[in-house]
Amino acid sequence: MNPSPIAREYLEQGYSTTCPIIDMHGHLGPFYGCYLPSSSLERMRHRLKRCGVRRIICSHHSALACDAERGNALMQEVVRQHPDEFLGYWVINPNYPDATARDLRSFDRRTGFVGLKFWPDYHLVPVTSPRYAPALEYADAYGLLVLVHTFGESPFDAPGMLAEVGERYPRARFLMGHSGYGEWERSVAIARDLPNVYLDLTSVFQALDFSQMPGGSLMPRAPALSPHVNGLIEYMVETAGSHKVVFGSDLPWYSQHYHAGAVLFAHISDEARHDILHHNAERLLGKHLVGTSESKPP
Amino acid sequence: MANAKALKFFDCNCAFGPYRTRVFRFARTADELLGEMDFSNIEQALVYHTAMRFDHPVVGNERVVRESRGHSRLFPTWALLPSQTEEQPPLETLLREMRRQGVRALRLFPDDHRYFLDEITWGDQMAVFMERRIPLFIRASLDRIATLLRSFPDLVVVTGSQGSNPLDRYAWPLIERYPNLIFETSSYLVDGGIEEFCKRYSATRLIFGSGFPDNAGGAAMLTLARAEISDTDRRAIAWDNLCRLLEEASLP
Repeated sequence: MNPSPIAREYLEQGYSTTCPIIDMHGHLGPFYGCYLPSSSLERMRHRLKRCGVRRIICSHHSALACDAERGNALMQEVVRQHPDEFLGYWVINPNYPDATARDLRSFDRRTGFVGLKFWPDYHLVPVTSPRYAPALEYADAYGLLVLVHTFGESPFDAPGMLAEVGERYPRARFLMGHSGYGEWERSVAIARDLPNVYLDLTSVFQALDFSQMPGGSLMPRAPALSPHVNGLIEYMVETAGSHKVVFGSDLPWYSQHYHAGAVLFAHISDEARHDILHHNAERLLGKHLVGTSESKPP
Repeated sequence: MANAKALKFFDCNCAFGPYRTRVFRFARTADELLGEMDFSNIEQALVYHTAMRFDHPVVGNERVVRESRGHSRLFPTWALLPSQTEEQPPLETLLREMRRQGVRALRLFPDDHRYFLDEITWGDQMAVFMERRIPLFIRASLDRIATLLRSFPDLVVVTGSQGSNPLDRYAWPLIERYPNLIFETSSYLVDGGIEEFCKRYSATRLIFGSGFPDNAGGAAMLTLARAEISDTDRRAIAWDNLCRLLEEASLP
């Protein structure tokens, strides 16, 4: 039996009183490509409490998938109304340079936004492209967090491309969304070697079998990538260190209990679990967690 | 809900044996698998051997029986091939051998073993499985499952309901049409998915799977343990439904 007291707490009550979660990768709103039962704001808030999640950092689906202006405004409204539960990433769509320039000029006046969100695989712009440079220069100047969707062997955001950007902008702090799914060794080595790059656990616990997807999947097909993910957390902790791994769930896509279960039932120490589930996020978010009361589990 | 530590889990989807590619953590032997199950709060498992997928079904089917023998918490399954290539015994012989070896469910890996899932390929076998209610665990996309079920609508089929993206827009129409289609939960990680499914349909159409070692151990277990469903539904998904499926299988 797993000897972890934190795992026992989760089994017994669904959350831990000693080890809260800060979820560094979430979204808001419905999504065009699939049905998400938990996409309403009230449902999201309920689920956060049930899983002992103290804060979630989100970007809005509308901003990512269609209309950055509308989606970012919706995100702003949520962080304004629920600052104890939600913080935001401002979505940058590099296909709209004028809007990006305008948004960056006003970014420091927005409260509740901890950094920027890039979605290169879906905006079809390589993260190394000059079109991302203004946002990256801004993040570098102000030490912002930048959550970048990454995927193994992608022509837009493969781990090696994020390493290039991470080295070019050393003061920006990069979360490697989905940990460069599939190119695990490369991603973990990058997080080990670059002090400003972190591994994000969002949806890395599911073995993606692309052969099982009916036609029209949004995800790139990558048959050469490793289809087995059990033991990955242990590998990340052993190789890059638990201080370089952050918790993410993609909520309302994926269950936070599923993601928590993968961390709680990995063969790692409780100290590493604390790092992954909240310590690292607390360090990265710093001032954004100060001055707000804390949500409590039910 | 009750303490999940007291809930018993019967895992319908887990494997032991070696892999040719790198797997960070897996169970090479039945003993190792039992250790992993203990760590992840799982009591019993309906298992397959990796040799059934990646060596040859005939090799793997023999190994899974031999290597799980003496482990009362492990229940072997066999991989199935189309009859035309005559790599496996004739159907009646296979069924009698299943009974003799305590095998009460079959697995199909159409992508790994390269065959169609249709009436042309399976016309001679599927009617028998349908009549005998032998559960078929099929690892294939939902459109291919739908093709099979169009020809054999009463087959007892267990499959995953999603791949990388939530697939309920594909899955739910099939659930409504085919009464013996069942989803296992190893990849059913869309938030609120289990709750929504139980509310709209029935907990009888879900069974617990961990997906070990493809998926992270413990993840699907905790998801079901903390799902916002009744304890009766939770026990059904975690244990009772799989027991019932295996009991209903009729072997000569």
